[in-house]
Amino acid sequence: MTSSPSDTGTTTDPLQQFADGVAASVGGEAVIEFGTVKVRVPASEWVSALTKARDELGLVFFSWLSAVDWASEVEVGDPYPEAVEDRYELLATVADLSEGRRVVFSTDIHKSAPSIASLVEVYAGANWHEREAHEMFGIEFDGHPNLAHLYLPDSFLGHPLRKSFPLLSREVKPWPGTVDVEAMPGGEDEEAPEGPSEENPEA
Amino acid sequence: MGVVQKFGAPKPVSWLLNWSRKYSLWLFQFGLACCAIELMAASGPRYDFMRFGIIPLPASPRQADLMVVAGTVTDKMAPAIRRLYDQMPDPKYVISMGSCANCGGPYWDSYSVTKGVDQVIPVDVYVPGCPPRPEALMDGIVLLQKKIQGEDIREKWNRRDLEPV
Amino acid sequence: MIDQDLVRHLSESSVSVELETEEMTLNIGPQHPSTHGVLRLVARVEGERAFDVQPVIGYMHRGYEKLSEVRTYPQVTTLVNRIDWVSGYANEIPFIVAAERILGLEVPERAQYIRLILTEMARISSHLIFMASYPLELGAATPLFFALRERERVLDLLEGVTGGRFHPNFNRIGGVKPAYGSGSSTRKVIQDLPEGFLAETREAMDKVLEAAEEIEALVAGNEIILARTKGVGVLPAEVAASYGVSGPNLRASGVRFDLRKVEDYLPYDRFDFEIPIGENGDCWDRWHVRLLEIRQSVRIVQQAIDGIPSGPLQAKVPKVIKVPQGETYVRAENPKGEMGYYLISNGNQGPYRLKIRSASFSNISILPWILEGVLIPDIIAIMGSLDFVLGDVDR
Repeated sequence: MTSSPSDTGTTTDPLQQFADGVAASVGGEAVIEFGTVKVRVPASEWVSALTKARDELGLVFFSWLSAVDWASEVEVGDPYPEAVEDRYELLATVADLSEGRRVVFSTDIHKSAPSIASLVEVYAGANWHEREAHEMFGIEFDGHPNLAHLYLPDSFLGHPLRKSFPLLSREVKPWPGTVDVEAMPGGEDEEAPEGPSEENPEA
Repeated sequence: MGVVQKFGAPKPVSWLLNWSRKYSLWLFQFGLACCAIELMAASGPRYDFMRFGIIPLPASPRQADLMVVAGTVTDKMAPAIRRLYDQMPDPKYVISMGSCANCGGPYWDSYSVTKGVDQVIPVDVYVPGCPPRPEALMDGIVLLQKKIQGEDIREKWNRRDLEPV
Repeated sequence: MIDQDLVRHLSESSVSVELETEEMTLNIGPQHPSTHGVLRLVARVEGERAFDVQPVIGYMHRGYEKLSEVRTYPQVTTLVNRIDWVSGYANEIPFIVAAERILGLEVPERAQYIRLILTEMARISSHLIFMASYPLELGAATPLFFALRERERVLDLLEGVTGGRFHPNFNRIGGVKPAYGSGSSTRKVIQDLPEGFLAETREAMDKVLEAAEEIEALVAGNEIILARTKGVGVLPAEVAASYGVSGPNLRASGVRFDLRKVEDYLPYDRFDFEIPIGENGDCWDRWHVRLLEIRQSVRIVQQAIDGIPSGPLQAKVPKVIKVPQGETYVRAENPKGEMGYYLISNGNQGPYRLKIRSASFSNISILPWILEGVLIPDIIAIMGSLDFVLGDVDR
């Protein structure tokens, strides 16, 4: 049973015990983030950790696999407030089918040569998820049978979910909802009524 | 056929042709996304659009008169839309349903969405909404019918596509 | 006059002819009446049997994960209910719960009950669409009209509360949207559901039960549908788990697992409901499980209406919400399967990274495996029984 929704850091005992058990079994570190068990493993142990999760811990259900682009400079959105180390963090969630326990496995990949072993031998569902991660981030998965484009047309260039990929429509006009109000004729600049803006979209 | 192109047709004849065309539209359902569900609801028991003479589900685009583009148009899908539009024989009409098909909608800044289907095919009527209610779609259909009634038959014949697809 | 000797002769002798067939590549879609949207299948067939079917997806890829990085949390809520567009309300819940967990907010009880009622109604709406479209693909056109008629009732209720038929945008961080008084000049907040909503919902649920009976009577005994779905597209539980297939598809393969019983994103533990499972994992079981789930959802809604507490509809939150740094994964039992959001927030008004785990993406990743060696008409039957929506697949 996962912890109650309003816990912000204190954990209930069964979850912490479960997290420690997983970490000990696969050889990584466990941390509990707001009710989610996250186990960090080194990149070289990626496949063996997940194989142990499937065989020994009963986590047979493959939920998803994706990546996070930690970057200090971003083209879209806001950067992370603290300084981050530039890397890709690969995340994979697996769960069991009896008590609903789930673990997010995480590992770091260097941006200069992003490649890691593929999980298709361990979980068959990793096939499409890895194709998506490859297409969106540019991560190479060794041993994957077919790393072709999944979502994007073949002629698409670039890796969209990287923080360095800009959204071109936003370069032209940041947000069409901003109200541009002309000043009233006659010289007086009347105060425009406050409409919805980036700061306060529900005004 | 050359007669109509050169001389037009007398008013009662052109009125009759327009009237028969507007009440017998065969709708090619190009339902892409959420608007397709509203299109389905519009053809369902409550908001029945068959009473306007529109019948859904032609066997192929080559038998259709009216194409309703309902949903988001992505760059990957745009060539398919163009090809389907070209397959329809004249006279053909296009209704763009929903804000994604009108102008890109809530995904206006996405890297993979075409900002409006009118970048790919010519559109006759735009129906706004996200999604437009079935009544709004029927309002768009009635507007299209009014447009058809007011068409000039000579212009229609001269403007048609002569290239086979 | 029927020549009985000839009839007997023909029925007794078995004629076997070696038909010469060639391999052919058949392209189904992306525009096709029965592919639930813009899915394209490239099927290599030999005679009537397909031996290699590859789905080509991405015709509805709108870039949700990138877009959510440049939007604020309320704006992401409006985007997110367009992922699985037949059950709009259910898509918002795991995202809002993830933001609330990181904020550490306690959602008021009444708001949780309202969320639960609306989620179950979204589930009924989604399963009714399945009841309508699946027999249509198999050739039976009548259940479409019965199911759509009942669905209109449910949509009317949803619209009465939220203002939208299936894109409600009704969730706010901290609860649900409190209703405002009439006219924008009066900013008086009326914190309640519309009058008569609960009584009408109770009536509508009875009608939905009757409709489920009607549909079952029409479809369940029909020989053609049984012949097309029994034993077709069998999915063993281990393969399903390894591919990540979830929801009614997994339960039809015999796995008694429902996220509503194990996760606590909504107070399901206060209600009494069963988890229907199937025996064989074929198309028939997948249809039947969804029909039984409609009944269980009605049961939950009736219990929730009886026990709904009074109270505020939204916790006290500032006007401009900034979620502190943190990350978490929240998953929910959506009508199509497991839907989850991995939210990484950076202390600003919008997410830093939002990973959307959608149910139909994993559900159709099984198509190459399950469609090997099946007959061409069975392709349509199996695809329809997986009940996917392209917005959920492509995001």
